[in-house]
Amino acid sequence: MLRSKRRAWLTFIALGVMLAVLPFVVDFGLGRSWVRIMDLALLYVMLALGLNIVVGYAGLLDLGYIAFYAVGAYCYALLSSPQFGLHLPFWAVLPIGAAVAGLFGVLLGAPTLRLRGDYLAIVTLGFGEIIRIFLNNLNAPVNITNGPQGINQIDPVSLMGVSLGKSHELFGISLSSPHQYYYLFLVLTLLVVFVSMRLQNSRIGRAWAAIREDEVAAEAMGINVRNIKLLAFAMGATFGGLAGGLFAGFQGFISPESFNLMESIMILCMIVLGGMGNIPGVILGALLLTVLPEALRYTGDMQRAWLGHVVVDPSDLRMLLFGMALILVMLFRPAGLLPSRQRKRELVAEDEIAAQEQASVYDARH
Amino acid sequence: MADLIRLEQISKNFGGIHALKDVSLQVREGEILGLIGPNGAGKTTLFNILTGLYTPSSGNIEFRHTSMLGMKPHQVLKQGIARTFQNIRLFANMTALENVMVGRHARTHAGVMGAVLRSAATRAEEAAIGVRAHELLEWVGISGHARALAKHLSYGDQRRLEIARALATDPQVLALDEPAAGMNSGERDTLKQLIRRMRDQLGLTVLVIEHDVKLMMSLCERIAVLDFGELIAQGTPEEIRHDPRVIAAYLGGGAK
Repeated sequence: MLRSKRRAWLTFIALGVMLAVLPFVVDFGLGRSWVRIMDLALLYVMLALGLNIVVGYAGLLDLGYIAFYAVGAYCYALLSSPQFGLHLPFWAVLPIGAAVAGLFGVLLGAPTLRLRGDYLAIVTLGFGEIIRIFLNNLNAPVNITNGPQGINQIDPVSLMGVSLGKSHELFGISLSSPHQYYYLFLVLTLLVVFVSMRLQNSRIGRAWAAIREDEVAAEAMGINVRNIKLLAFAMGATFGGLAGGLFAGFQGFISPESFNLMESIMILCMIVLGGMGNIPGVILGALLLTVLPEALRYTGDMQRAWLGHVVVDPSDLRMLLFGMALILVMLFRPAGLLPSRQRKRELVAEDEIAAQEQASVYDARH
Repeated sequence: MADLIRLEQISKNFGGIHALKDVSLQVREGEILGLIGPNGAGKTTLFNILTGLYTPSSGNIEFRHTSMLGMKPHQVLKQGIARTFQNIRLFANMTALENVMVGRHARTHAGVMGAVLRSAATRAEEAAIGVRAHELLEWVGISGHARALAKHLSYGDQRRLEIARALATDPQVLALDEPAAGMNSGERDTLKQLIRRMRDQLGLTVLVIEHDVKLMMSLCERIAVLDFGELIAQGTPEEIRHDPRVIAAYLGGGAK
């Protein structure tokens, strides 16, 4: 008991040290641009975990999830950029963005309460697009979002007077801007993981699972399906808004283009690929789908070096491999790369039953 | 015995079909009341109206002298009426234990904050939910399958799990929709004892829909008979057995 506890602590510390030195290793081995990719990967982990609450826990297929990322990002951008001349502090803007996104989650969730499955997917897809088109067109008659040009010169994240947009020296170590963002995002990602874990194993988490399994039975067992669904939409959207705000501060520039349907589908793919409903699976899916496409960029150079010219455009290759990966996962690991314990349990149990039936057939024959 | 539930002239139409016509029925506190009738007679429709899944086209339902018209299923449950389903509706991919734990939802309070911070109150509540769920599985006799997924249980065990889940909601009235369907005679006997125990030990009022007339005659204190959406008779099993309209309905002589 004591030993396993100590082992858990050691693993924990080892993991912490690994995560802490990772950006330096990556910076040294692959270059500064890869630290930026890691930052983006962490944002996608947050997004995927947020969508996982809606799709994985509550079973509500939401294809417009990126809208909440957009809401969070635009909240941040409007409240701390020259657009309105507002420069509110980070600690105020980020929660505002997350809260507004959560509110939008409820607003967009409310009309869809009676819909299920495919119909829900279609309507949420529409809502996602509506938000994007709004952002694209809210430059007239009153210019709010600056339309398709997007918002520029967004204030970098600044914590206690330290702007993460510039390099800083800390204990003699030079920390570049992407390094600093990495640590901020890491802390917030861990927070999102923690909240997700706690929610999953709670009264609320069980209620989400129940409505995913059977809405009628859930309601008959005293679950207020409307409220519990709205709560899932709100929680998911809040995480999306959080990631959106960080994205705006990190990039310094946002435009409606970043929030298209493809992004929503991408995040959904992360969940499906990694293992819906399972936190480690979702994290793995998000990391894979952000890192692999970037790695594929190198194939362009490789083709030039070996073949003299680029035969397959890396971005085409990305979609090709992407589609193939999804098909392979659906065929061979239908519950995802790291399926949730529940799904794994299902598969194992089915194997056992199959084995038993095999055995009885064998008995009958011999 | 006082009337616990009063159904007054309940009618339900689906399009042009009259699923129920002016059904008036009183349920007395602490009784086991059977509901029988040929297929399509409106038994399940009556249950659905009672539990808030359907709103009646006309008529009134009172539970302890307050009207339940317009209440949602989860509100009805909170009042103390729980049910099981004709075509078992468990949370198939959750364990038996988790199924019963979901049943505690309406009687517990932890919200998002409680779940995230896992305060002392939430931890105590969670522990109590677990203990209660185990007790109920034990009570219906399937505690050995606590960790098994609901869909992997045998048919009879699934029916019993559904009862345990319903009991977890602390009901005063339990409505069982064909609890013996698919059970063999041994399982039926255990079920009969279980229903008796629920009434005698937990003080529940039990409503049962069942096709097995023999089981119903030996289990229920009173039986109500529906035919083509109309209540054609109600009374003790002995009275029902000799009622000419019931005999006609069951033997087909009364088909209109």
